[in-house]
This record gives sequence, structure tokens and C-alpha cells, in this order.
Amino acid sequence: MLRIEALSAGYTAVPVLNGVSIAVDEGQFVAIVGPNGAGKTTLFKTISGTVGLMAGSIRFLDTDLASVPPHRRAHLGIAHVPEGRQVFPSLTVMENLEMGAYTEAGRRDWTSNIERIFAWLPVLAERRGQLAGTLSGGEQQMLAIGRGLASSPKLLMLDEPSMGLAPAIADFIFERLIEIRRQSGLTVLLVEQRVAEALESADHGYVLEMGRVVLEGNNKTLRADDRVRQAYLGM
Amino acid sequence: MMLENFLQALTAGILAGSIYGLMCVGLALIFGVMRVINFAQGDFMMLGMYAAYYLFAALGVQATFGDNLGPYVAVGLATPLLFAFGYVIHRVLVSRVTGARTAALEGEGHYAQLILTLGIALILQNGGQILFGSVLVSVRTPLSSSAWEIGPLWGDFVSVFVNKSRGIAAVVSVATIAALALLIARTRLGKSLRAAADNPEAATYMGIEVDHAYRIAFGLGAAITSVAGGLLATNYPFQPHIGLEYVIVMYAGVVLGGMGSIIGAFWGGMAIGLVQQLSTLVLPTQLQNAAIFVVFLLIVFLRPQGFFGRVVERT
Ligand SMILES: Nc1ncnc2c1ncn2[C@@H]1O[C@H](COP(=O)(O)OP(=O)(O)OP(=O)(O)O)[C@@H](O)[C@H]1O
Ligand SMILES: [Mg+2]
Repeated sequence: MLRIEALSAGYTAVPVLNGVSIAVDEGQFVAIVGPNGAGKTTLFKTISGTVGLMAGSIRFLDTDLASVPPHRRAHLGIAHVPEGRQVFPSLTVMENLEMGAYTEAGRRDWTSNIERIFAWLPVLAERRGQLAGTLSGGEQQMLAIGRGLASSPKLLMLDEPSMGLAPAIADFIFERLIEIRRQSGLTVLLVEQRVAEALESADHGYVLEMGRVVLEGNNKTLRADDRVRQAYLGM
Repeated sequence: MMLENFLQALTAGILAGSIYGLMCVGLALIFGVMRVINFAQGDFMMLGMYAAYYLFAALGVQATFGDNLGPYVAVGLATPLLFAFGYVIHRVLVSRVTGARTAALEGEGHYAQLILTLGIALILQNGGQILFGSVLVSVRTPLSSSAWEIGPLWGDFVSVFVNKSRGIAAVVSVATIAALALLIARTRLGKSLRAAADNPEAATYMGIEVDHAYRIAFGLGAAITSVAGGLLATNYPFQPHIGLEYVIVMYAGVVLGGMGSIIGAFWGGMAIGLVQQLSTLVLPTQLQNAAIFVVFLLIVFLRPQGFFGRVVERT
């Protein structure tokens, strides 16, 4: 579904990502882990088009994304739940979800999507009239996820959904994500600092360090790898 | 007599305030909602006034629709012209200093916007002087010299006169604002404009074309302010530098109403109209503008977020 090949990208002449290759197949749950500053967020932004691509290619379904302007990529079926939530603070919860459904598919499926989103994340239904800027961090994260789901995506990209949240809330959100994926069968690409949880539930994982993929494999091989155990799992 | 004078000044204040409110709403879209500083807003209004004037007097609107209806038809026709003007100005110039391009900069590109739009303002003022001349003109209608009498109220003592063209202008202003407020609050377009203003990057992830949203908002803001200008032109003679007088009123109104609130901007403009007219009861006319700013400072001092300001920060 998503094929990234020999990708280089960055903000200045010096690229942040150097020859990154990643593949996500339909229905897969793929996790990307790595230390702070490795380039995980930059990778997501390059897929979404808010960071320019310097070399290599990104193909989504049958389209070369280089020829698709950033705002059209959501319409192809890519939902990006960005790092730090980035909900629209002066819009209500409901309006945020409506903006999630800005794509053609999102509008078409609005009624059934909103029902499912409210069932998965009931707090959003309770708070539907509240301004998103006044939600707690955990609620904002759930809204960001709901907003992503509202677009009827083919690929859901989540950038550190546990960032800055209390462990209990982060656990809850993680559990919700697993449940959402189990019920919907969505293809998910997840960036996460909670390496143990991420690798446990993912089909396939990549370890990104200093802008390069240093390790990849299915969850068993990764969790058995000595380097991963030492550096990320603290074993 | 005292009561009559007061009611008359109050009426004049409400009428003036409605038009000021409308101008402020135009700026509120650009400055309050999209957070773009536009010093040429008063000059956009001036263009709207001349557009209405030429459509009315030279391009057949007066001949077709007459002296009573004609001015309003001209204002209506000038509106899409100013929308297009704002849209193009944004596309060609202002877009270079707004949106995703400057979101990460210190001050979100406000310095560049200030200089750029100040430049546009000067070009419009001086260009206007060359094209239109500096003779005072107005959109002439007999309505501006006749009035409705309300009353006599309280027996035979008190009655209030409402100038017809100003009365109509106030009604058109309020209707325009109501329509715009609905557009911004309820429609998909309106919500996408607010989303793009809140967080351009996240808006892009939703599939919103942010630059396009900004152009639409800028065009709408120019069009709304030009409606106010056209209505004003039926009452007041004007010349190419008139924008300067009103751009200050507009910024004061938007800040008074609370940044980001469309309805707030209307009440901000209304407050300015009321203070201006009511102050004539106790102060000499030369001090009208001083009175406005004393009240402005007082309100901003007591309630820095404005009447309708929300204390929600952008993330
Ligand atoms: N807007 C920017 N301009 C310039 N450099 C940037 C920008 N954003 C990130 N960088 C740099 O790019 C590198 C990778 O950052 P990125 O945010 O992609 O890391 P990350 O893997 O997501 O880290 P974290 O786990 O902390 O979120 C860092 O060295 C960072 O300083
Ligand atoms: Mg990151």
C-alpha cells in the first residue's frame, strides 16, 4: 500500500532522512521506533507533503506522491494524526471531526463514521460542543485520532499518540487503538516511544536512528534482537 | 429637550455604529480570524466606494434602477468586484507573507505583512488620486436628505428622526453581517477557513487547501468592507484618502470586540459609533475622535480580550 524507497528529506540542505526504505502492506500494522531526533516525525511529514522530498520515492496505492500536492494526499486516503495532537482549538469537538471528514470519502461515510467514532471514544460524544482548545491532553489526543478516522482513511498514520500523557491515559489510548484496529481492520503506521507496547502489537517494525533504518523485522525477531532489548526494552 | 437630544444622538450612534460594525467585520475576517495584518483595508473600502460610485453614475445603474434603488444595486454589484480584487491581491502579493510559509516564523510573518500592506495602501491612495482625482464625490440619492419620523413618543413631546439612507444602510449592514456570521459558523467553507487559520499544517492534513482558504477569506473581508464603504458613500462625500480615517476605526473595533470574533467586531464598531455620536452631547465635535480613543483605552485596559474575546490559546 505504501512503498517508500531510498527516501531523503529534511529542512535544510543537510537531509534529516538518508535513504530510508519502508513498506506497509494493506491491513498491516507497522510500527516505527527510535530515539528523539531520529527523523520519525520528519518521515511522516514527508509522506504528507509538508516536508519536501529530496531524493527517492513514495508510492501510495498506485500513485507517486511526488506529483500530488500536500492537501490532496488526505483525499487519496492518508490520515495523518500529527505529533502533539494539533486539534483546531477554536473549533468545537464536533467541528474538528467534521474537518476530519473534509475528504470526499469522509463526507460520504459521515453518518456511519461518527457513530463508530463515538462508540470507540465516548468522551468525544460527551464533549461534542466543547471547544477543542479547552480539552485535556488525553481528550485532545482522542479527538485527533477521531478526526483522523473521520476521513475514512485507507492508511492511518499516528505520530506518538502517547506523547506527554500520564501513563494511565497513554495505556487507555493504546488499548483503544488496538481495539479500533481490530474492529476496522485499518492499515496503521505508528510512531511510538513506548517501544514495548508498539512492537508487541505491530506486525512489522522498523528502528530508525539518525535518519536511517538500522533494523527491521516482524515483532518476534525485533523483540528478540539484542540491540532492541538493550536500547529500547531495557533488558 | 434633553431627552430628545439624547435619543437623537443615540439613534445617530446606532446608525453610524452599524456601518462601522460592518467595516470592522470585514477586517475581523482578515485580521481577527486569519490573523493577517492588512493596513490597506481602509483603501479597499475606498475602492468599494468608487466602484459603487462609477457603477451608479457612469455605468448605467442610476439610469436603470433610479435614484432610490440604484445606489444599493451599485453597492451589490461592487461587492463581487472587491471580492475578486482581494482574492487576486492575496494570490499575487499577500500569500507570500502568510499561511504555512510563515507559520513557523517569529511573529507569523506579521512584520512582512505590515510593510507589504502599507505599501499597497500607499499605492491605492496615490493611484486613486491620479485615477479618480481629489474632488469630493458621493453616490447621490434623495433618500439621504429625507427622514422617517419616529413618534411623537410620550405624548407630544419627543420625536426622533431617522435619515432614510442611513436607516437603510444600517439594515443592510446588519443583514450582511448575519449572513456572513452564518457562513462562517455553519458552512463547510466557513469551518475550513477557521481551521486553516487555527492550524494551517493540520488543516493541510485534513485535505484543506490552506492558501485557497486564505485567499477566499481575504476576498470576503475586502468585499464586506466594501459593502460598508458603498453604504457610507450614500451619506458622505469622499476622496481617495478616505481609507486612512476609517482603517483606525476598523482596528479599534476589532480589538474592542475581541480578536477572532465576527460578532464581537460588529459590537466593537457599534461601540465606536455610539461613543462618537453621544460624545457630541457633551463635547465639541473636534473632540469626537479623542473621546473614541479614551473609551477605547479604558475598555482595553479593563477587558484586554475585548467584549467577545476568548481566552483560548492557539496550540
Ligand atoms: N522545522 C524544522 N526545521 C529544522 N530542523 C528540524 C525541524 N523539525 C525537526 N528538525 C530536525 O530534524 C531532526 C529530526 O526531527 P524529528 O522531529 O523528525 O525527530 P523525531 O524522530 O520525530 O523525534 P521525537 O521522538 O523527539 O519526536 C532533528 O534533528 C530536528 O532538530
Ligand atoms: Mg517526533
